Amino acid sequence: MKITDAAVFPYPCGDTSVGRLAIEAKTLGFDSLVAIDTPAGSFDGVEILCGIILPAASVRDIITRVKRSKDSATVISVLARDNGFNRAAIGLKGVHILRGLQTADKNAFDHVTAKMAADNGVAIDIDLSALIAGRGIARQRAIQRYRDIMTFERRFEFPLTLSTYARSYLDLRAVREITGLGSLFGMDIPDVEKALGTGGLLTAPSVPSVRVIA
Amino acid sequence: MSPRPPTLRENRRYLLVRIEPAGMVIDQKELYYAVSDAVTSLWGDVTAGAITQAVVAAESGYVIVRCLRGTEKELAVALSTVTACRDVRLTLRIVAASGTIEGLRKRIRALKPATEPFLEPVAGSVVTGGAETSELVFAGKIYLVLCCNGQKVDVIEKGFKNTHRLFLTRCDMEKS
Repeated sequence: MKITDAAVFPYPCGDTSVGRLAIEAKTLGFDSLVAIDTPAGSFDGVEILCGIILPAASVRDIITRVKRSKDSATVISVLARDNGFNRAAIGLKGVHILRGLQTADKNAFDHVTAKMAADNGVAIDIDLSALIAGRGIARQRAIQRYRDIMTFERRFEFPLTLSTYARSYLDLRAVREITGLGSLFGMDIPDVEKALGTGGLLTAPSVPSVRVIA
Repeated sequence: MSPRPPTLRENRRYLLVRIEPAGMVIDQKELYYAVSDAVTSLWGDVTAGAITQAVVAAESGYVIVRCLRGTEKELAVALSTVTACRDVRLTLRIVAASGTIEGLRKRIRALKPATEPFLEPVAGSVVTGGAETSELVFAGKIYLVLCCNGQKVDVIEKGFKNTHRLFLTRCDMEKS
């Protein structure tokens, strides 16, 4: 299991090069990073996975863009919007992560969407930057949403990912710090370990649930 | 007011925290306010009052933060939400916890100083102003090397306004 930060933004989106992020991530206990709009590679033993975030446009747009990058080992994420859009996005083959639920509508993620995410193996992302850099009502709302997500996760067992959305290496957090932040919304140590391990498995070919052995 | 006898004193714990990026000069009082703000914002006044956090020492890139014994975890979570001090971006990395300041001072002495920026020759850089500063071109702009530590190179855009600090590696320098 690879400990993965599911979204970082290296230079030119941020102020830290991808190599430097990898070096710093290694000292903080990470094995891989999903770097948005950055080619895949490996730096100092840390695997860099290429990731893209598709903006919450129309579902047709999402389908076109997913088709374009379906065959590559790119981690495809979609920004959450309303409930209908989220259900449609989760239902698409090739979408790996649904992000930004803390800023989406209140009813954007319900039990039906949670069940669909579990069935399709689409991960729900928890954006830690909302807890780290957010203050006041924004952080309270994020904690409330993440608690809600955790309730559904315990019931339906869909995959979770944890992202720092680091635009600088100063935004990265150590695994121990992430565990502490996770405890704010009821995520215990095994949950954090599982969520950090999900990022590296997203692009791996899915193992069929039924295998013919003879 | 006479000091309390040891048996009546509250037990305290001290966290050793490293300030990043390296080479930052931070006023202890300003950092105290940043930590206090983070603790109060995250846990509220009641828990902040119970934690009784204080920045007791700041030396060679490390800071010692005090709290009440048993509240280290709350303080550690709050410290991870400190992102700036007086509009200067920084991060606090917890290194160790101890029951005494002296224990942490020993630890600091054993560790490599974090704030000593030192210049090593960086590929593609031109030494200017004696051996004190070196310049390099990255992505078509001129940058001054602030400090190097192994593979890590911190640079700042040359100029007097809109200067950005970049965190790069030696490999990035060689590629540019």
